[in-house]
Amino acid sequence: MITHWLLFTWFIFCIGIYGMLTRRNAVGLLVSVELMLNSGALNFVALNRFVLPNAVDGQVMAVFVIALAAAEVLLGMAILLLLFRKKSSVDVTTLQELRH
Amino acid sequence: MTNFLFWVFAILSTVFALFAVSSHHILRAVIALMGVLCVTAGMYLLLAAEFLAGAQILVYVGGIVVLLVFAVMLTRSQDLQEDHPALPRRILGAAGSIALFVLGACAILHSKSQLITSDASSQISDVQSLGHAFLDSGAKGYLLPFEVISFLLLSVLIAGIVIGRKESQP
Repeated sequence: MITHWLLFTWFIFCIGIYGMLTRRNAVGLLVSVELMLNSGALNFVALNRFVLPNAVDGQVMAVFVIALAAAEVLLGMAILLLLFRKKSSVDVTTLQELRH
Repeated sequence: MTNFLFWVFAILSTVFALFAVSSHHILRAVIALMGVLCVTAGMYLLLAAEFLAGAQILVYVGGIVVLLVFAVMLTRSQDLQEDHPALPRRILGAAGSIALFVLGACAILHSKSQLITSDASSQISDVQSLGHAFLDSGAKGYLLPFEVISFLLLSVLIAGIVIGRKESQP
């Protein structure tokens, strides 16, 4: 049963990786990162349940992951709005200022 | 029963996740992400983590998805509504992620999981012990990371305001 859980969370994580590789839109990238963070938190909780059923360490880690995901989305959205105000586009493939 | 619910949730979650990364319309992708997050809350309930299910609904569905919808609405432009990745990009992305999945699946299936003790029959941990773990300053407690993450959230809040405000005239 634990193998099913691990395979499932790994599959969702790989779907998130696919989104990271193919999306050009910054909001789409944020959605993919959320998928990956979510599957990571689920993996922590599943391992907690099957390895140490009497402890709560995995759940504590999942709470930290949720808090970090909220922080990441907030900063990502602030940067995105600034970007949109300056360039009126959120296509991440056109952002090449740092290269020159 | 638990097994059946796991498969239902897994299939639902996979369908929503595939839709979230492949939808051309970005608002629909965000809604599909909300579906994945709600199904994940159900999975937390399946794993007997009630507090996490509540926190998932509150923080993810109530906060993060609303923030993403705001991001879509505030930056509405032509290239934001549609996202059409080119075919080579899609093939390369699919090949890379599938290869990664096969690699990880082999690692999971071939590992000797000696730590797996029970089949999760004796579950004692509850919300009370979770709260004690957060506020325990001893060797098994998480008081310091808890404080650090509260400081991180405060600084992210300030940084979001500083980055997002309009530049004032000097």
